[in-house]
Amino acid sequence: MEPPNLYPVKLYVYDLSKGLARRLSPIMLGKQLEGIWHTSIVVHKDEFYFGSGGISSCPPGGTLLGPPDSVVDVGSTEVTEELFQEYLSSLGESLFRREAYNIFENNCNTFTNEVAQFLTGRKIPSYITDLPSEILSTQPLPTPGPYLSANSDSVSPELGPCPTKILAGLAGLARPFGQALRPFLDPIQIQPHGGSPIGRPNGQS
Amino acid sequence: MPHVISRTPKMAQSGHSSGMPADKNISSSVTRVIVKTAGKQEDFMIADDTSVRQFKEKLSTHFKCQMDQLVLVFMGRLLKDHDTLSQRGILDGHTIHLVIKSKRSSRSLAHSSRNLSTKEPCHQVRNTEGNTNGVYQPAGVSHTPLESALLVEPDAPKVHSQDLEVSGPEYIAQMLQNPSIQQLLSNTDLVRQFISEHPDMQQLMQQSPEVSYILDNSDILWQTLELARNLAMIQEIMQIQQPEQILEHPLNPQSHLGLETLPGGDNALGQSYVDCNDQMLNSSQDLFGGNPFPALLEGQVLQQLQSSPPSPPPPQERQDQLPQLPTTRVIYTSSHGLSSITSASVTPNKVNHTPSTHTTTISTKGPSPTCPIQQPARVPALPSIELTQHMPQLSEQYRQQLPTFLQQTQLSDMLIALANPKASQAILQIEQGLQLLATEAPVLLPWVAPYLWGLGWLPAPSCSHPDTVPWAWDVPDIAEPKGPECCHKSGTGLQSLQSLAGDPSHLLQAPEIRFSQQMESLQAMGFGNHHANLQALIATEGDTSAAIRKLKRSHGF
Repeated sequence: MEPPNLYPVKLYVYDLSKGLARRLSPIMLGKQLEGIWHTSIVVHKDEFYFGSGGISSCPPGGTLLGPPDSVVDVGSTEVTEELFQEYLSSLGESLFRREAYNIFENNCNTFTNEVAQFLTGRKIPSYITDLPSEILSTQPLPTPGPYLSANSDSVSPELGPCPTKILAGLAGLARPFGQALRPFLDPIQIQPHGGSPIGRPNGQS
Repeated sequence: MPHVISRTPKMAQSGHSSGMPADKNISSSVTRVIVKTAGKQEDFMIADDTSVRQFKEKLSTHFKCQMDQLVLVFMGRLLKDHDTLSQRGILDGHTIHLVIKSKRSSRSLAHSSRNLSTKEPCHQVRNTEGNTNGVYQPAGVSHTPLESALLVEPDAPKVHSQDLEVSGPEYIAQMLQNPSIQQLLSNTDLVRQFISEHPDMQQLMQQSPEVSYILDNSDILWQTLELARNLAMIQEIMQIQQPEQILEHPLNPQSHLGLETLPGGDNALGQSYVDCNDQMLNSSQDLFGGNPFPALLEGQVLQQLQSSPPSPPPPQERQDQLPQLPTTRVIYTSSHGLSSITSASVTPNKVNHTPSTHTTTISTKGPSPTCPIQQPARVPALPSIELTQHMPQLSEQYRQQLPTFLQQTQLSDMLIALANPKASQAILQIEQGLQLLATEAPVLLPWVAPYLWGLGWLPAPSCSHPDTVPWAWDVPDIAEPKGPECCHKSGTGLQSLQSLAGDPSHLLQAPEIRFSQQMESLQAMGFGNHHANLQALIATEGDTSAAIRKLKRSHGF
């Protein structure tokens, strides 16, 4: 018996905010986020990802996002390409149907995590999968009114209202950012363009 | 004896079976594994020494499928039948992934050859749902390998012959790259059989027997394929053969590119544009009084340029071209530096498209009244260079007249606006309305003061009415100075605009209409000779006081 072929499995990680999240998240959310991550699995010389259009594939780095911001080596798999296709088709009919996309609970990273475990038994790095909970866990703080007025007393006269105090006040306003935005963000779907959908032979609507 | 219990995840979380404590001693050989498939997972209790094959048997009964449809994956490794679970390191609580293959693909796997099997998933992935099922409907047995590869998605619900177009040329191109398909295509008999047996082709051949002749002639086929590959060549061929049609329509800017791909194509472009220019202007000789370009070559342009444009009232469509004429000639024959300046100054005037200066979008017809002044500026620089090489003395004179040209082109916005007859009429109507207002209800004039300001209206009503309207501001005197006691009659605002633009389009209207107000005032003063009044007004360009002096002189007072 010849040894089975091992195919490398890579995780392409894209920062959708292109660095803005790292800079603005402390102000906006009150905690540091390194990025807004979109991921895809690259195996058998194809990139697979889940978006608002369902499961799609394209040549590696072939979406409009361009080349990935980082590449994580997930491992290697014996799963052949056609078996993988079968698997994706079955996923596309069940858990990862096009309409099942939910930006917080069932997004591209959920898909990638699932696929990575199937292919290699390993999960993707936790900082990616923890992102939605990070955003949603921002706690509402008391209103910034007393916060600002309390600080204005200590403002030095020549500077006027210190800009950092204003920013802090704004951050207080922005603290409930994640929770408040949830109803707006839920219908948002992310689908990098440049891929083709994957369908089951039996026909997927 | 291993017992297998399958539970739903909820039940599994509530705890193990009641026999758990008793099984603890045996639990080392019984493991609970999670089997994940198609988005759901279930728990299975199995013994350690269960072989994969036995496990598959259980699963096949559970999932109602055949054993060869099952593929188990653990940690990225495919589980072979002869292994045991413990051998693979499957311990309690581990997750095994299960893929249930569809029946059809497992069958096609058995049929397809080795190289095809690696390529199938590519096609499966890359093809859209409406896919290549209908590309070939081969009848012969020898087509089976191809058929199995192409019929990978036979159940695509939208399998129609229209899917051929839906799949698009790129999919066909990808298919062509498949080595197995290339091998098939290299077999000429097979290909011929393909084509001739395709029902659509047979229909086509019935309708036009020439097609069968074409298909038999390999040279023609080869050329057709070459052409199909090189679409740019097709475009070039079409462009070369149809330059006349370009005259009537603005050139698609992309079409330049076709000729440029040919070696020496740029020269062909320039030459074709020169030809177009000459042809168009030759065709419009009656309007311009001869193609100005050969006239330029003969050095007659000097007199033409320095004389004022003809002033008989031309019809409307000529009106659009007359202002074009001097600028056309000027810009066309200017020196290289000048042409670059003019084209640069024209670009702010919203010259759209064309990356290069090579265009022939000069329309000599009236329908595009706003364009004619823009377009001459885009006359190609190539012929101008040739001309100036021949006529260095001409270029010298044109350089001297550079400021005038610049002024003209800077004012081309106004020229464009005024060349639009509707715009001029609109301005006239505004003036007439204001005049009427001034005569009927002067008290309302302050309300419309902004408009009067723009029209250069001096603050004095007509002579026939007393001056009751006080004006608080000085209206700037844009045009040539008028007498302060006289009011501006109809057309003066328009005239002032036009004189500013230096444009002869003030000849838009018959003098009678323009000078009607002046005529009235002259009549009121007692000059009864209507015709003489009109002549005087024409001569003095509507200046009533000057006309009065003229009339007095002519009457010998």
